[in-house]
Formats: sequence, C-alpha cells, structure tokens
Amino acid sequence: MFAALTKYRHAFLLGLQSNLVYRANFAVRGFFSLFHLTVVFILWGAAYAGSPSIGGFSFGQTLTYFLVMLVMQFFVGAFNEDYQISEEIRNGLINQFLLKPINYFLYRFSIFVAARLVTGVLILLPLLVAVPLLHDYLTLPHDLWRIALGVPAMALSAVIQFSIAYCFGMLTFWFLDIQGFVILSMAVESILGGQMFPLDLLPAGVFRVAQFLPFYYQTYFPVAILTGRIQDIGLVWQGLGVQLGWVVLLLGLNQVLWTRGLRRHTAVGG
Amino acid sequence: MTHYLQIWLASARYSVTRTLMFRFDFFLWATVELFWMSVNLLLISVIYEHTTSIAGWTKYEMLLLVGTSLLVQRFLMGFFWSSIFEMGRNIRSGHFDYFLAQPGNILFMASTRKVDLDGLANSLVAMGVVTYAAHKLGLHPSAWDLVAYALMIVCGLAIHYSMLVLSISLAFWITSAQGMEGIYFTLSEFSRLPREAFKGLASLAFVWLLPVVVVSNAPARTLLHGIEPRWVLALVAAASLWLTAAIFVFNRGLKRYSSASS
Repeated sequence: MFAALTKYRHAFLLGLQSNLVYRANFAVRGFFSLFHLTVVFILWGAAYAGSPSIGGFSFGQTLTYFLVMLVMQFFVGAFNEDYQISEEIRNGLINQFLLKPINYFLYRFSIFVAARLVTGVLILLPLLVAVPLLHDYLTLPHDLWRIALGVPAMALSAVIQFSIAYCFGMLTFWFLDIQGFVILSMAVESILGGQMFPLDLLPAGVFRVAQFLPFYYQTYFPVAILTGRIQDIGLVWQGLGVQLGWVVLLLGLNQVLWTRGLRRHTAVGG
Repeated sequence: MTHYLQIWLASARYSVTRTLMFRFDFFLWATVELFWMSVNLLLISVIYEHTTSIAGWTKYEMLLLVGTSLLVQRFLMGFFWSSIFEMGRNIRSGHFDYFLAQPGNILFMASTRKVDLDGLANSLVAMGVVTYAAHKLGLHPSAWDLVAYALMIVCGLAIHYSMLVLSISLAFWITSAQGMEGIYFTLSEFSRLPREAFKGLASLAFVWLLPVVVVSNAPARTLLHGIEPRWVLALVAAASLWLTAAIFVFNRGLKRYSSASS
C-alpha cells in the first residue's frame, strides 16, 4: 500500500515540475480569463439593469457565482488532459506502462492533481487584481456547512472532470483524431455544467433533468453549494449521493474503455 | 487580381475534394460549430426568460445582434481559420518555408490555402437566425440597407481576419507561446454584446480601441434602424486601419522568421 503511494507520489512530483515549466502560459491564461469575467460583468450587469432580481438572485450573487466558478475550474477543471492522453496513446508512450506495475489511470490522475495545484496557485495572481475591483459586488454566504460539503463536492467534481477527459483520451484507440469530440463535448458541458448561466435559471423541468446528468456535478453543483444557490442542506446531501454515483460509473467506464482499447492497441518497435 | 482569384479557386476546389474524401470529419465539425452557436443562442433565450431588456435591446434585437456576430465568425471559420491556425504552427515548426517559395503574396497564400465547408454551411444557419429575428421584429429593410449590411459584414470579416493574423503573428516573436488564437476567441466574446452596455473604461477599450463591438453592432443597427453614416464610416475606417496594422505586423514578423531547417 505504502509502496504504491510512493510510486504515484513520484508521478505527482514529476507533474509538478513539468507544469511549473509552463507557468507563464498558465499565468497568461489566467489573466485572459479576466476578459471573460468582464464580458460576464457587462452582459449580466445590463440584464440586471431592468430587474433587480433574476431567478431570485441579485447581480452580486450571480457575479460571485461566475467568479467562484472561474477560480474553481483552475483548481479542479480538466484542461488538456484528454489531448495529453491521446498523444501518449498515439505515440506509443503508453507501451511502457503495459510492462510496469503502474496503473495508467492513477499515473495520469497524479499528474492532473499536480497540474491543478500549479494552475490553482497561479489563478490567485489575477484574482488579486479582480477582487479589489469587484469587492463591492461579491457576496458569499458564511455558513460553515457550505465549505464542509462544498470542498468534498469540488474533489468529486475533479474526479468527474478528469474521468470524462480520460474517456475522451481513450477514444484514440478507435479514432485517429479526438479534437472534434472534445470540442463538441465542451459545448454541452458549458451549458449543462452551468458555465454559461446558472442552471437554476433553466425552466424547472429542464433543470430537474440536468440534475441527473454528470455535467451538473462537474461544475454547477460545488459552485452552487459555495455561493448559496442551493439553499437546502438536504438537497446538498442528496446531490453528493448522485455525484458519488457518477464518480463510480465514470471510473467503471474508464476501466472498460482502457481494457477494450488495449485489445485494439498495437505496440510496435523496442 | 485575376491571378489571385484563380489561385483561390484552385485552393477551394482542393478543399471541396478533401471534404468529400473525409465526409465524417465534415459532419462532425459542422455539428461542433452548430452546437457552439446554439450555446450562444441558448444563453440569450435563458436571460430573456427572466428580463425584457439588455441595455435597451429586446430579445429579438439581441438575437439579430448575436446572429450577425456569428455570421461574421462563421465566414472567418469558413474562409480563413484553418489556414491561419496552421500558419502559427508552421512558423513555430519551420514549415512556413513552403509559403515563402510560392508565386504570390505570402500572407494571401498562407491565409487562404484551405476553405472549410463546415464553417460555410453554418453561415447559412447564422443567416437563418438573422432572418428569423428580422421576421419576428417585423423588419422590412430596403435593398440599400441589405447592400450596406453585406458590405459591413465584409468589413467585419476583414477586422476579425486582422485580429486573428495579429494574434498568430506573435509566433514570429514568441516561438514558445501556444494557444495565441485563444486571444482572438476571448475578444470575440465582446462582439455579442450591445454597444449601449459598455460604459466608462470598458467603452474606451472595447468600442474605441478594439473594434470588437462595432463589428457586430454596426451591421445589426443597419437592419434595425436603417443606414447610419456614422456607424458605416466607423466600421470602414476600423477595417482599413486593422487590416493595415495586421499586414504591417505580419511583414515585420516575417523579417524575423529564421526557418528551422538544420
């Protein structure tokens, strides 16, 4: 058990080093996300000019929702893990893992955790610029249970996001290029994950259906807990149950795709 | 001029043949673009479920604006995107040499090599959105309004093209930087917002310094309120200025290009 942990600790440290190399790229990306926040501020500010409350929430609450979502994604979001996995399959780099006692999923997951640690710390820099500017608008609830349940929901969200990226990476066993699938899925995720607008603004029936899909749990759910868009603690516990269910399902799917994919895989050369 | 038209037609013919060979790719990418267009339209329809106006624009006026913005972007995707995207990669890898040896203007040859039929197919969808919104608003634009609208879409395309070339040209200076096209996508988000929503510093930056707002607002206003010479002039001026800047920066960058062959 301990030996296994040591193995993946090394993968984690390796991921930390290789991601620190790209710190400037991540920092630029972080600063550009402020432009996205500006669009959100202008669009929603104009929408709120006509009505003080949208879906029962104030402008400040909605802006806080988008800011927390943005920051959270730098801590738990899958960025380009799907492409990295795809490249490793295509270039035959996975061959080395077939001969060693290393679980490829855990290896990639350790690197993913390291990468998010780097991007998570780097997003704090643009945040130092944004928070003083938006300070008057931001409003976070102070209930302790929100943090106590929101943080595990974030952790599960990280596993869901990574698992979905891993599934897309696995598609490389069947398709030469996965880019189209990934960008298609990003469109679905941006809507059903609540990245374009808070999901609670959807018509009640559609919102109810969305609550059973994994996208709801990959971004909207943890942010809604932390920003007070989910009021009832009972609903949070219920949501955590469904989220855990999706984690188990996706982990199972990852394993199936890996096993099936390997049957099609051909390793050539030494 | 005829010479360039012939070159472009040859590239277009090649692109059509290529699309016919990879039909699955065509359908996949057409669906990808359609989905992303739907994301933007859905955002508008959800917001208008809860409010009646965004900066004085009604739901269908806003749909007309977003449709116009998507139309310009689809044309960019259809006519230039793949070529300019590859240009960045080729500059970094040294494969750009190929374009230096071709019989024509380097920027023209490098940025018009591929035509993406999926982008062009979706421009029909964007046109459909604009037509639907105009119908819902009960608009009856005159022939001159339509000519002005078309001219402004071309100007908007020139501005988007220039912004993309400028972003990608950074590769001449910063060869290690990747994902520069992301800058273009971030900026294009602003073009789906009405001019009236911008105030203070944001107005200065995104309306006056960067023409991202004018690109979509000027043509949309033409359909809504008829030709407004102030907006037409602003757009033509911005298009000329940005195209000149893009050509200048590209040529300066080209002087720094040192190939990568050993």
